[in-house]
Amino acid sequence: MSKKFITPVGDEGIYTLDTGSWRTFKPVMLKEKCTNCGLCMIFCPVGSITGDENKIYEIGYQYCKGCGICARECPTKAIIMVRESIE
Amino acid sequence: MNLIDKLATWEDQISPGISACVGCNVELTLRTCMKVMGPNTIFAIPPGCMGGVGVVGWDKKSGAKTPVFFPLLDNVASMLAGIKLHYEHIGRDVNVVAFAGDGATVDAGMQCLSGAAERGDKIIYICYDNEGYMNTGYQRSGSTTKGAWTSTTPVNHSGQGGKRQNKKDFPLIMAMHDIPYMATMNPAYIPDMVRKLEKAKEIKTGLVYLHVYNPCVTGWGFQSDFSIEVSRLAVESNFAPLYEVENGKFKMSVEIRNPKPVKEFLSRFKKFSHLTDEDIQELQEWTDFKINRLKHLCTL
Repeated sequence: MSKKFITPVGDEGIYTLDTGSWRTFKPVMLKEKCTNCGLCMIFCPVGSITGDENKIYEIGYQYCKGCGICARECPTKAIIMVRESIE
Repeated sequence: MNLIDKLATWEDQISPGISACVGCNVELTLRTCMKVMGPNTIFAIPPGCMGGVGVVGWDKKSGAKTPVFFPLLDNVASMLAGIKLHYEHIGRDVNVVAFAGDGATVDAGMQCLSGAAERGDKIIYICYDNEGYMNTGYQRSGSTTKGAWTSTTPVNHSGQGGKRQNKKDFPLIMAMHDIPYMATMNPAYIPDMVRKLEKAKEIKTGLVYLHVYNPCVTGWGFQSDFSIEVSRLAVESNFAPLYEVENGKFKMSVEIRNPKPVKEFLSRFKKFSHLTDEDIQELQEWTDFKINRLKHLCTL
């Protein structure tokens, strides 16, 4: 995140609206099922899923609102929704 | 480099952590549009959902990397026309983009948008159509589908009520202005959306109008994870067909061979849950009429 903005945002900089705290279900990527197609990345509304040149996609939990679109749209069902625990 | 790699490497122009509803596909549309438009952009967001969630930066927490204006509901296109003229005058080529809701486009901002289209101001006008004034609690707009529940067209216990008038076919109205490029888009068809946005960026002869059909999670009443699935159903049932008009020539972007019944799309939403079979049949006939007219226009 720090490279994308002039001021670092998220965990390593200023915290804007903490939409990560809205989450009741958390998406978890099962790497063994993932085919690195990148559909979760293009459909993530908050831009939480990032990819790189090696087509490795990762879910960032800083701003993920837990909408579940990635789990619904994944063609191999490699993303599951897990209930957030109350700490 | 394919499209997914491009989208992964393009810079996000909107700050993370904007307060759009969970599963909002307008936020996805906005981020995709601004990724394609790039940093050399000035954009305006009138009052509406995307203004309200803080993209314009008034909550002093979130915002955009590019300059963003917060015009009134009814002067978006005319204000941007002036900005574009200034940049033309000083000799700098920037993308001037409006990202307006359907209230600010179809109802309140229509006359200035129509004027800008007629004058041929070189702006890109993106309308996200979620069929109502969602930011203020889902009042009806000119773009709401007939029969829909809204907070200003309520439904009583015996299922009577809802909007009595048909939806305004605004993409076609804009196409009939004979602007150089008009296209409809859908958040479930991101490659198609990116292709149209890239085309829109290249056009330097007049106004470009892009219409995005966005089902609204909170207002229409469905679960957030179905946000993309129901958007896709809108295209698959021909309720919101994807087409483009380039210099007066109509062309379907996505051909649906065996369209699904409109009932399958309508039954997903709470706002249509009171509709009787006759109401749904009427909407089916209306959809069939629209798509047949569109297909006829494509043959001309």
